[in-house]
Amino acid sequence: MPAEIKSKVKQVEFSENSYLKKAKSFFEEAALVTMFCGRFFKELVKPPYEFAEFIKQAYLVGYKSFPLVATTGFIMGLVLTIQSRPTLATFGAESWLPAMVAVSIVREIGPVITALIFAGKVGSGIGAELASMKVTEQIDAMEVAGINPFKYIVVTRVMAATLMLPILVIAADAIALYGSYIGVNLKGDVSFHLFFLKVFEKLTFADVFPATIKTVFFGFAVGIISCYKGYNSNKGTEGVGLSANSAVVMGSLTIFIMDMIAVQITSLFSK
Amino acid sequence: MKKTTGNKIKLGIFVTSSIVLLIAGIYFIGEKGQLFNNTFLISGVFKDISGLQVGNNVRFSGINVGIIDNIEQITDSTVRVDMIIDEGSRKFMKKNAKAIVGSDGLMGNKIVVIAPGTPGKKQLVDGDFIETIQPISIDDILAKLKVTADHSALITGDISAISGEIRAGRGTIGKLLMDSTFAEHVEETIINIKQGAGGFKQNMNAASKNVLLRGFFKKKKKGEDKKKK
Repeated sequence: MPAEIKSKVKQVEFSENSYLKKAKSFFEEAALVTMFCGRFFKELVKPPYEFAEFIKQAYLVGYKSFPLVATTGFIMGLVLTIQSRPTLATFGAESWLPAMVAVSIVREIGPVITALIFAGKVGSGIGAELASMKVTEQIDAMEVAGINPFKYIVVTRVMAATLMLPILVIAADAIALYGSYIGVNLKGDVSFHLFFLKVFEKLTFADVFPATIKTVFFGFAVGIISCYKGYNSNKGTEGVGLSANSAVVMGSLTIFIMDMIAVQITSLFSK
Repeated sequence: MKKTTGNKIKLGIFVTSSIVLLIAGIYFIGEKGQLFNNTFLISGVFKDISGLQVGNNVRFSGINVGIIDNIEQITDSTVRVDMIIDEGSRKFMKKNAKAIVGSDGLMGNKIVVIAPGTPGKKQLVDGDFIETIQPISIDDILAKLKVTADHSALITGDISAISGEIRAGRGTIGKLLMDSTFAEHVEETIINIKQGAGGFKQNMNAASKNVLLRGFFKKKKKGEDKKKK
């Protein structure tokens, strides 16, 4: 066989192997994440409960993220109102601005943007923290000291992320609506009372409940993915950066996928 | 230890505030749906509800007093609409109040508008059926508009034909406006009338001086003078 053909055959074999390897590692990763989730639920219900650590994590994950989420929420409401006004003004429907912005924020923009900000701040933090603990063998040290590291580190953080994100989203929605009120009043004169009457005139339980419920899943996804990436980190100090990075990327992607599924389920039930 | 307690308090305030906001939101949305108010139920049977949906508003004297609770098709041409109405409005709603399906502005949602009944009548009670007025649908308006447009097209066609005839100089008006010979004849006739009128005036002057008719003209003049005085 000539040398050229040999090299081409080798290239084809190599690319086939590479795709196979990628597919194999993807399914392996999926299985490991599922097992990680299973272990999380097992450890969650099994006493003892690390309540003090959970409160500490809730403070770090929730309260400490509030300023960032509040600023983002305010800008979100303000900008959405300013950008929507010209289109509505074309139809002479500026009075619909509060209701339209409220539905957009509560149903979609509030939960998704807040979850993405949360994935960026909290996901990377947890990923990097757990990875550095793994690299510096602190997790092994815990096991030696008789502490269940999974329960102490993973369960508390995932639970904190799961319960704090909905709380952050509610706060972000309220602040975004206030930003929208400011936006409406930049070129108009609408009283605070009238603005909120208009907001609640169009909002229904079908807007609020699915949006709040999906944030619980977003929080869980961010928590579990970042913990998994950090807990299973390797490659030394280089792995710390990789874990933080992949926690944010995977977390953000999962939020979008879950949001798409949530919208489909919501529309299925609202028919 | 102090720091931990402080953090716990901060977290507690943050969580409580957010939960209060959520509860307030749920309350305002629920209040709109008459969830926390005393209400009573009335129903109306419509032939066409024009896209009315459960949750749409019920309006009385321009005020939102309730919502649509249920819509049910009862026969092939009738739909029953159940409405939950705020108890506070009951005293103004009489037995002969009428309901009509309307629209909230040009692009707005469908609503049910209740027209108040006669003041002396009894109040509506829970479970009452109220009279309904069939709304004029857009389809009806369009159908009538089509008839009007068809008639307009026919009239425009007729006017066009008439103006064509006039332009061609046919018919009385056409000849009057477009035929130069006809105009000359009319001019000649007017000249003849003018000449005839001059001759007639001379004849009448001569007649007034005639012996036989002089008395009649004098009497006539005297009568006219008396009237002037």
